[in-house]
Amino acid sequence: MQPFRIKSFHVLLALATSLAGAAPAAHADDFPTSGRVEYVLECMQKHDGKYEYLYKCSCVVDRIARELAYDDYVAMSVALRNQALAGERGGVFRDAASAKDMASKYKAIEAGANRACAVPQR
Amino acid sequence: MSFQARLTCLAGCLALVAAVASAADSDTARLTKDPKNWAMQAGDLNNHRYSELKQITSKNAKNLTVAWTFSTGVLRGHEGGPLVIGDTMYLHSPFPNKVFAIALEDQSIRWKYEPKQDPTVIPVMCCDTVNRGLAYANGKIYLQQADTTLVALDAKTGNELWKNKVGDPKLGETTTNTPHIFKDKVLTGISGGEFGVRGRLTAHDLNTGKILWKAYSTGPDNEMLMDPAKTMTWTDGKMAPVGPDSSLKTWQGDQWKLGGGTTWGWYSYDPETNLVYYGTGNPSTWNPRQRPGDNKWSMTIFARDLDTGVAKWVYQMTPHDEWDYDGVNEMILADIKVKGKPRKALVHFDRNGFAYTMDRVTGELLVAEKYDPVVNWATHVDMKSGRPQVVAKYSTDKNGPDVNTKGVCPSALGTKDQQPASYSPKTGLFYVPTNHVCMDYEPFQIEYTAGQPYVGSTLSMYAAPNSHGGMGNFIAWDAGTGKMVWTKPERFSVWSGALATAGDVVFYGTLEGYLKAVDLNGKELWKFKTPSGIIGNVTTWEYKGKQYIGVLSGIGGWAGIGLAAGLTKGTEGLGAVGGYKDLAKYTELGGVLTVFALPDR
Repeated sequence: MQPFRIKSFHVLLALATSLAGAAPAAHADDFPTSGRVEYVLECMQKHDGKYEYLYKCSCVVDRIARELAYDDYVAMSVALRNQALAGERGGVFRDAASAKDMASKYKAIEAGANRACAVPQR
Repeated sequence: MSFQARLTCLAGCLALVAAVASAADSDTARLTKDPKNWAMQAGDLNNHRYSELKQITSKNAKNLTVAWTFSTGVLRGHEGGPLVIGDTMYLHSPFPNKVFAIALEDQSIRWKYEPKQDPTVIPVMCCDTVNRGLAYANGKIYLQQADTTLVALDAKTGNELWKNKVGDPKLGETTTNTPHIFKDKVLTGISGGEFGVRGRLTAHDLNTGKILWKAYSTGPDNEMLMDPAKTMTWTDGKMAPVGPDSSLKTWQGDQWKLGGGTTWGWYSYDPETNLVYYGTGNPSTWNPRQRPGDNKWSMTIFARDLDTGVAKWVYQMTPHDEWDYDGVNEMILADIKVKGKPRKALVHFDRNGFAYTMDRVTGELLVAEKYDPVVNWATHVDMKSGRPQVVAKYSTDKNGPDVNTKGVCPSALGTKDQQPASYSPKTGLFYVPTNHVCMDYEPFQIEYTAGQPYVGSTLSMYAAPNSHGGMGNFIAWDAGTGKMVWTKPERFSVWSGALATAGDVVFYGTLEGYLKAVDLNGKELWKFKTPSGIIGNVTTWEYKGKQYIGVLSGIGGWAGIGLAAGLTKGTEGLGAVGGYKDLAKYTELGGVLTVFALPDR
């Protein structure tokens, strides 16, 4: 069978290799509600659960959602998280250029959104 | 009861022996025959990871929705999956290896068990503090703790019944495997190939934990339970006895004592042959120059008699390993046509990138083909000698220490690690989660110190070059011909165990945290984002007429960590066994079991 998802890979790779933080492409703004809530809850938790971060973190995820398709956001944010894993498992994410690219692009996008929404980087 | 015993008893003592057998044997195999249960980690004795349930089909899988979730309260990697027997689920966690008995009716916690383990075991676990799940037999739950203690609990109360420590963490010995219940025994292995331990399998009495036999992977014949005249191996295109000292001859001096050959994978058992099948891991150290020879019997498929432990046949896949291609992956037993002929086969997807089809009765090598075309360290397996034909430029031994051998495929992770594949008797195909990752590998000289890592190489990994750019694939494999049927690329390696069902759906999880359902052609039907990356195995069961799908997510460092904030309500009663009332309503942080079902109409 023809690998049917191959197209989305190219999209992702193109993203990972060409997406400069300052070059927002038009995206579907397709984050599901659960994806946004998940982001906001985690972001609030990082900031001691303060209520003001309900608004600030919502602002951040809305901005990220305008820059990235949900699937790409998931892959890129996972690449960043998994760099912190111990041993061989994390090694793949620390070594592989494709994963490193995803992680650093995502880090830049999130940092930009944090600045715009008055969320200190943590 | 052995096959032979059954035959002799046809002469009139059948009823008597049946009664004796039911007292001695476990009820596990029988429980697995009811698809409502998920009574072993792999679903059955054959490692099929297949379910006859078919309420969820390729037509309606797109409607799957979250039924309930359960958090273990433990961070770090969550491998394995739950057991379901009747109205109760039994779930484990990574270190400290908590055990929960959960009522399916309302997800209240019936009991919780948390062993006291010395945390110094954590740094000697090479690859995260994982645990691959519990086993069940005759009203007992079996847990193999990280510190090598095998423990039996009363499935009704969680009370400890017996304990037996099978290794010593001070020597780098730890355990991550599930206990395996076969007939009247519980079998367990050992991890620590990175610490120079000597791998072995032990068989224990179900009721007392007493060791019935112990079989090492390396060393003298008597300690390996090898019969020089009767233990067979593939030799010049046929089976022949291994001969005396078959392991000792392949090591320099007494290196076999630190030989590795650990046994932390997924074993299987065939009641007809009374053989237990499992694989052994890498030889220690990773620096091949330091251990000349074939290093037998590391990297080997073993078939042992369950009653005596004596090896019936062995097959070494990667003689003199130079890349850390552990041979521990699951041994799947399937009756399939191989090259047109019906065979009682054993199918094994090895880390080294070759998928092996063996005759499980005789041990003959039938098929050995690459299940990822990028595999390059060997051109092929020579079917006469059974040996892989190593490509000189990828030989880390030829290139030697302190030389960086570049572009070896697969990486040390293997084309596949322990995450078990699934076999569907309905389609006759195997559904396999894989890595699509290559590496640069540089061995260096190392001295052995007990309890210290004995690795001796540095490596760097990356997505297979000149391919789709992703680091994984999910494939369908025909083990009778050794051919790929379809492949579905994934952005990241697929580290979750697969599940196939009679509803013509195949499930697997991804490192992004998606649980995916695909049809028999690999077409994606549905996906759901769980709170963390999935390295657990997908499980299914039925309760009160409804089919459920469950999977553990949790690889560490995930989004879900903050989610239960505000839901936590006091930690009293958590540390000690006893506070069941408080526990019943308690939501903990950590790895999450997410359970799915079809919505009510």
